[in-house]
Amino acid sequence: MSIGRSSPIVSFGIAGFVPLLVSLFMALLMLLPIGSGVANEIMPNLVLISVFYWLSNRPLLMPYGACAVLGLFMDLWLDVPLGLNMLILVLTRLFVLNQLKHYRGRSRFVHWLVFALMSLAMYVLSWIVISGVETTLWPVRPLLLQWLVTAFSYAPVGFVLGRLRRTALR
Amino acid sequence: MHSIGLTPARFRERRGMRGREALWFYIALSVALLVLEFIGSSIPVQVRAYANDIAAPVLTVLERPVRAIQAGLERVAGVSDIYLENQSLRDENGRLREWREAALQLSRENERLRQMLKVPQREVPPAATARVIGVGGGAFERSILINAGSSDGLVRDLPVVDDRGIVGRTIQVGHLTTRVLLVTDLNSRVPVRLERSGELAIAEGQNENFLRLRFLPKGADVKVGDRVLTSGHGGIFPPDLPVGRVTYIDDEFVLLEPLGFLGKLDYVRVMSYVPVPDEDQSLMESPGGGHQ
Repeated sequence: MSIGRSSPIVSFGIAGFVPLLVSLFMALLMLLPIGSGVANEIMPNLVLISVFYWLSNRPLLMPYGACAVLGLFMDLWLDVPLGLNMLILVLTRLFVLNQLKHYRGRSRFVHWLVFALMSLAMYVLSWIVISGVETTLWPVRPLLLQWLVTAFSYAPVGFVLGRLRRTALR
Repeated sequence: MHSIGLTPARFRERRGMRGREALWFYIALSVALLVLEFIGSSIPVQVRAYANDIAAPVLTVLERPVRAIQAGLERVAGVSDIYLENQSLRDENGRLREWREAALQLSRENERLRQMLKVPQREVPPAATARVIGVGGGAFERSILINAGSSDGLVRDLPVVDDRGIVGRTIQVGHLTTRVLLVTDLNSRVPVRLERSGELAIAEGQNENFLRLRFLPKGADVKVGDRVLTSGHGGIFPPDLPVGRVTYIDDEFVLLEPLGFLGKLDYVRVMSYVPVPDEDQSLMESPGGGHQ
């Protein structure tokens, strides 16, 4: 739907697929058994960071279709209710496109703060959705912990993505 | 980049409309998928099993350097303790030799008694030994992905153990991979009994690093440090597998620390367990048995 004749992704050539492929790679990284059993909890949501970063810097290279596909793969691989991450990532794009004009060109700290607040809202929405689908109140602590780790990871992961962006999308 | 005959303003307007259509399309799609999950359709389960197969080759490749780095770091961290650890292992080895002799003697005696009483064998053969190639769930679920699937003879609801105790059960079986729901997951329920007193209960996952003991009779004899074993009820886990150790007791909760080394799973064993059917049921199902 979003990748057509006039799609910016196509006009960038192979480099146009970098945000999507990097985010997909991030989804696979989230599956790796790194560290310990609490890796499930302490593993930051790398895909949310990646999608927010690319939307804030190259919004046309991360269309709704790409967000939906990434969300679907995350749902399948992480074994969470199908549609949950799809909804979260599509709403992330909606948020960024509407709010980018307020924080574009501002300092990295502002980007970090915006991401922390937005991701908190997304985690609250996830909690509501999963509690509704599973018809039980889901524990809040693991979600809160993962949000904290995700929010703090934005700076280092964003730094790496920035380097990659400058290399791949000059 | 722009289509012929479109002004930049018209181009932006058309793109905006397409964006809104796409937004509503994907929101509707995600809501439809969530509704499918809510009504308990089996389609997502099958799709997930095959999606795991797609990720498996990449995970297998990515997992190797991760394991190598972890092993290297552990080796470096462990060098300073190597002499103390060696001494401690020698002592433990001596104790284990004594236990082994006692266990062999008991095993022989047990076998003789079983033959005398015509009690069926309780050893459960392994269906597969598999490597953990992925974790799943994020903050929502406690599960792992192993590199054995239907091609290795695995099916749903088989018990999975490590060398210390039970780890979980198989829930999604793909061709090459299987997802194992850990005992710590919120959806996990394991029928158990206290080793010391024999009281029955259910060990419930909490999406935390501990389990909660539920449906324990009022006034049950339970102490911190008690071992908890599978009771064999429910038909998924064979009896007498170690589940956990009681770590906390108050008026409301009894909490267990899992004995399976869920923190650092590397290899796990999937058991080919088929519960012994009730005598009446086996008679009904046997040729010549049942309705006459």
